[in-house]
Parts: sequence; C-alpha cells; structure tokens
Amino acid sequence: MVSPVISLRDVTKSYGQGSARTPVLRGVSLDIAPGELVALVGQSGSGKSTLLNIVGGLDKADGGEIKVLDHDYGKTGERELARLRNTSIGFVFQAFNLLDHLTCLGNVTLPAAFAAGGKDAPARGREALDRVGLSAYADRRPSELSGGQKQRVAIARALFGRPKLLLCDEPTGNLDSATGHEVIEFFQKINKDDGVTLVIVTHERRVSNIAQRVIAMRDGNIVEGAGTDVHTAGTGDDLGGPA
Amino acid sequence: MMPSGKLARMVVANATRSPKHFVLSAFGIVIGIAAFVFFLAGTLGVSDVLLGKVFPLDQVEVIAPHTSIAGKNLSQKMNAETVAKIKARPEVKDALPRMTLQFPATGYGKFEGQAINFEVGGFTDGIPDAHVAGDPKLEPVFKDWEPDGKAMGPTCVPNTPNNCPDKAWQYCDASDNMCHHRVPVIISPTVLELYNTQVADSHGLPHIGVMEQFIAERGRERMHFWMGLGSTMMAGSNVTIDASKHREVGAILVGVSDKARRVGLTIPIGYVERWNRTFVGDKAASEYSSIIVTLRNKDKLATFSQWLQDEPKLKLEDQLGASFATAMFVITFVLLGIAFVIVIISAINIAHNFFMQVTERRREIGVLRAIGATRADVMAIIVGESAIIGVVSGTLGSLFAWLASLGVDWALKHVAPKFPFKPDSLFNFEWWIFASAVGLSILFCVLGGLLPALRASRLEPAAALAQN
Repeated sequence: MVSPVISLRDVTKSYGQGSARTPVLRGVSLDIAPGELVALVGQSGSGKSTLLNIVGGLDKADGGEIKVLDHDYGKTGERELARLRNTSIGFVFQAFNLLDHLTCLGNVTLPAAFAAGGKDAPARGREALDRVGLSAYADRRPSELSGGQKQRVAIARALFGRPKLLLCDEPTGNLDSATGHEVIEFFQKINKDDGVTLVIVTHERRVSNIAQRVIAMRDGNIVEGAGTDVHTAGTGDDLGGPA
Repeated sequence: MMPSGKLARMVVANATRSPKHFVLSAFGIVIGIAAFVFFLAGTLGVSDVLLGKVFPLDQVEVIAPHTSIAGKNLSQKMNAETVAKIKARPEVKDALPRMTLQFPATGYGKFEGQAINFEVGGFTDGIPDAHVAGDPKLEPVFKDWEPDGKAMGPTCVPNTPNNCPDKAWQYCDASDNMCHHRVPVIISPTVLELYNTQVADSHGLPHIGVMEQFIAERGRERMHFWMGLGSTMMAGSNVTIDASKHREVGAILVGVSDKARRVGLTIPIGYVERWNRTFVGDKAASEYSSIIVTLRNKDKLATFSQWLQDEPKLKLEDQLGASFATAMFVITFVLLGIAFVIVIISAINIAHNFFMQVTERRREIGVLRAIGATRADVMAIIVGESAIIGVVSGTLGSLFAWLASLGVDWALKHVAPKFPFKPDSLFNFEWWIFASAVGLSILFCVLGGLLPALRASRLEPAAALAQN
C-alpha cells in the first residue's frame, strides 16, 4: 500500500484565549494519496485555509498527528520544516504574494536563496517561467503584470523547487473567469504530467469539478471526502466563501 | 541557515531598495560617529602637541625636597651616586643630571644688528657632555674645552677686535689676556619656538627653521654673545659678588637639543662646576640641582615616583604635563560621552525604524518563511541590514569628521594667530580611530536592529501572510 502524502489524525486548532477562544479545527482526520488533485471546499470560517497552512507547516496545530511527505510534524524541527517547504512543498496564494522589489525571475528563484548551491537557479527559474508562458517577462517587475500573469509567476515560484506537493489557497480568487480557467488547466497539467499532489482550497465549482476528490468542511470538521478511497463530487454551485 | 554569500547579496539588495529608510536610519549614526572621530582625533592631536612637545610626560624632573630643622639644612644631596641609583631602576631609560648656575650672571650681545640683554644666573644649567653624544652635530662642539680652567690659546689684547687665531671659536679673556675657547651653549626646542612665534615677528628678526642651517648661512660669528659672570640686571638684587671675581666670558650658540633646559641656556657641566665653586663655594659645585629622568614608559611614572619618595627621599618637580594630561583626559571623556549619547539615541532611532519596517514587511517575511527561510534566516537578514547601515554610517561619519578637520586646520593656519608649538594639524587620525568608528557604528546599528529582528523571526508565517 502506498503511504499517503498527507495524513492527519484528530488535528485541532483554536485561535484566541480564554473565553474568546474560537475552535477552528475540531479533530480533523484525512489522508491524501500521492498524485491526487484534491479540492478543499467549505463555507467561510470552516477552517479550509487553516488546515492548508497547518499541512504546509506555516501554522501550528494545537493537537493531533500531522504527517506530510513522511515528516511527522510533531517530531520535525523548525529548520527541517523550513527545508521541507524549500524543497518539497510549493504554495500558491490568492494574493499572489510576489515581492515588488524583485523581478519576475528574482521572485521565481527566491527559494534558491535559502538552499546551498543553486548556480543553475537562473536557468531553472527561466524554465519555470517558460512553463507558465512568461519567459519574456523574466526581467519585468510584478507591478508591470496583470493579475493572471502575477499568479502564473507565483505558480512558477511554487514549481521552482520541483515540489511533490502543491498547496493552493484560493488561487483563482482574484482572477477573471478566463484567466482562472487557464490557471486551473495548468494545475491539471502539472498534476497529470509531473505527478504533483495538489490540494486546492476553493469555493469555485469549476475547480472542484476537475478535482479527483472534494473534501468539504463545515465548522472545523470534514463532512465529506476524508478518506483516500472516497471521491465525492460537489453538491452544488455554491461551495462556500473564502475560509 | 542560508549560505553567507546569498545572505550578503540579499541584505545589500534589501538595504539599498529604500533610500529614504536608509537615510533616516543612518543619519543619526553618521552624526554620532563623525563626532566620535572628530573629538577623538582632535583630543589625540592636541595631546600629541601638549604632552609630546610642550610637556612630555615621559620626562620628569627629580629634585631634592628642602628640609631644615632649627635652621639646619637637612635636604638630600644629589650627586653622581644618586644619578647611578636612578639609572639602575628598570623603569628608567636615562637620567640627566643638571647643575644650575647659582650666582648672578647676565647675557648680552648683538643678534641680527639688535642689542640683546638677558639674565643668565638661575636660568643656565650645566649637563654632562656625554648626554649629547648621540647628536652628530653637537657632539664635536658641545664639550668642556678647558676642563682644567686654563686657556687653550695664545695671549691676546682684550677689548680690541678679536685677535685670537680662531675668530669663530675663540675670544680674548680680559681676566688673563689669553685666548679661550668660547663656551658652547645649546637651547631647547621650546626656546626656539618661543623665539619664532613671540619674538621674531615683533622685533623684525628672521625666523629660524633648522638651527644648523641658519648658523651655516649666517656664520658662526653671528652666534656669539657674552656672559657677564657676577653681574645682574635684576633691580634690588641683594646678592653681592666680590667685584674682583667679575668676569666676561665669550659664548657661542651651537645648536638646539631636547636635552637643553626648557627655558634658559645649557652649557657643559664642567663650566658650571668651576664657576659655582669660584662664585659660591665647593658645595654648590658638588651637588646637582635636579635630575631629568626619561622613563621607558610614561605609565611607569607612578611606580618611579613612589620609589623616589621611599628610597632616595627625593621628589618629582610639579608636573604641569600631568595636570594637562588629566585635563585632556577629562575633556576627551566628556566629548566622547557626547558622541556616545548621539550614537545611542541613533541606535534607538534605528530600532524604531526597523520595528516599523518589520510591521510593513510582515507579508514579505511570511513569503520568505513559506519558501524555506528559517527563523534564524529572517533574523540574520534584518540584523545584516542594520549592519550594512552601520558600515556605511561608520565610513561616512569618519569621512565627514576628516573633512571637518580639514576645515578646522585651514582656519588654524590662516585665521588663528601664531602661538608656540602651533601644529600644522590639530588632529591625529590614527588608523584605529577609523577602525573603532566603523566597529562602533556596526555594533550600535546591530544592537538597534536586534529586537526588531527578533520580533520578525518570531512572526508565524501564516499570520504574516494573512495581513492585508
């Protein structure tokens, strides 16, 4: 049996303290197999983005077991977690999160700054930009690009380290319909061609439609699609707002 | 931890991407470091002149304290044995005995066509010839030419134009109508400096740069003058000298030496011994009036001073140099204190600026953490940026201080009146001043950036990225 890329057991997370303490995840358990393309859907505040951040090591859970790419987060130190993000996990955010003082190529190759070696970083960066169709924009600043182009640069940065896992938080949320469609097609392509596991937090039906599995969350719980053997299609047009 | 080369590139790129922030952070430190370098180089330069040329701290004058009981003089005697004892001390480099002319005497003659008269008694010391042996210009001429007191030349007719064979070096002495060698006289650099700055201009006399060159140009005869032993210009002097002992002695200025008495004339000690014996008595001819001690290190002064009081029961003459050194230390301390206050305030300003920066750059920090930066990487980036400000501020501050010193030196040269030992520059820019300026600048900038860097490194990436 192939071990899952992501394995969560009874993961809990709350924000605030004392009487203001608000549970966001209430014992979430799920497995995601290698090469899966998973859509994570749910109402605003259901815990989708928090779950994604915890899987990516950007946030800490209060309890439960988290295993990602054979790394047990409970036993993984801060430095090792950073190395994992640098080499094996890619992030795509709704707000793109590009650094305006760097060129597109500079943004794409930024992960190389935190790893040894990397003399081939510019070449790899251009290759990543070429994959998203923006090789001609390598020396442009993000402020000179459209929203769709910015998101493609962000995807190129996420793919720069040739990750095994791509975590996307509302990647089409700031894009128009046509551009969003292009991005979705690109996700499908890298999932199919490179075998990259994708977890996409979304509230758009067209994204969930291309997913092999849709995991639905409500009030900090997974209400649908938690197991690797489950493949549940979306239940309606409205899949919930941003988490 | 990110590789150092990549860290350096990122830090430089970050530090230079916002000139406004850079200038705001660096401004105070530049001022503080400029003040630090300016004050330190200035006090060092002034100290060099005061304590190196005017009041050298490594040279002290040993005297015998005056003690008497029931009218009986019990003062210690200083003689050759005392000199030998002092010389044997490990902290002593050299000991130069002095014997002061202890009876009235005057000096007179003509210099550059102008009549000069001055008091010699009490202002003339004798030192052993051997003490100028290291000076090739003085060694052949500064000696006791008539150790037995007898004339070395033929007979002559006094009070007529010089009829001795060697007109430059000999004179006709009226006491025995014989040609005697002129008494060689040396003066200190202080006397020469006082002449150049205080006398020359006001009396229309030429400036003297290198004494030997001046003598060569003007001729030895221009350096002649007379010493009237037993006479005085001081009104009301109660010292009476047997008129039969009065004598006019020919003297010749032979050069300048730091071995010479600071203010007055210095001649070979043999002359002073003979004249003191003749005019005062044997006692005055057998005791030194003081011993000039050159220490191996001025820091050994306290040790030497204590030994001096304990063992030979002698003491140091009041140390004007030490008083100036203390004054300079206090002034340096106060000025550097001001510079430090500026730098500390600037470091607080840097901390404030970096705290604002960290807040403004939360999302950027979140992105860096998301793509693989550790907490230590984030801290190193922020600290590195503050260190860059330190390097640039330290360098600029040093440069501004140096430029300001050029302005002050220009004013010193063109505006300030002449004064003794007026230096070409009031500043001494030692290399270590610049090194410590840049070092201090980096230190305070890094201290300023440390807390903001710590805060940045503790930002949770998810929270940082969630910022709108």
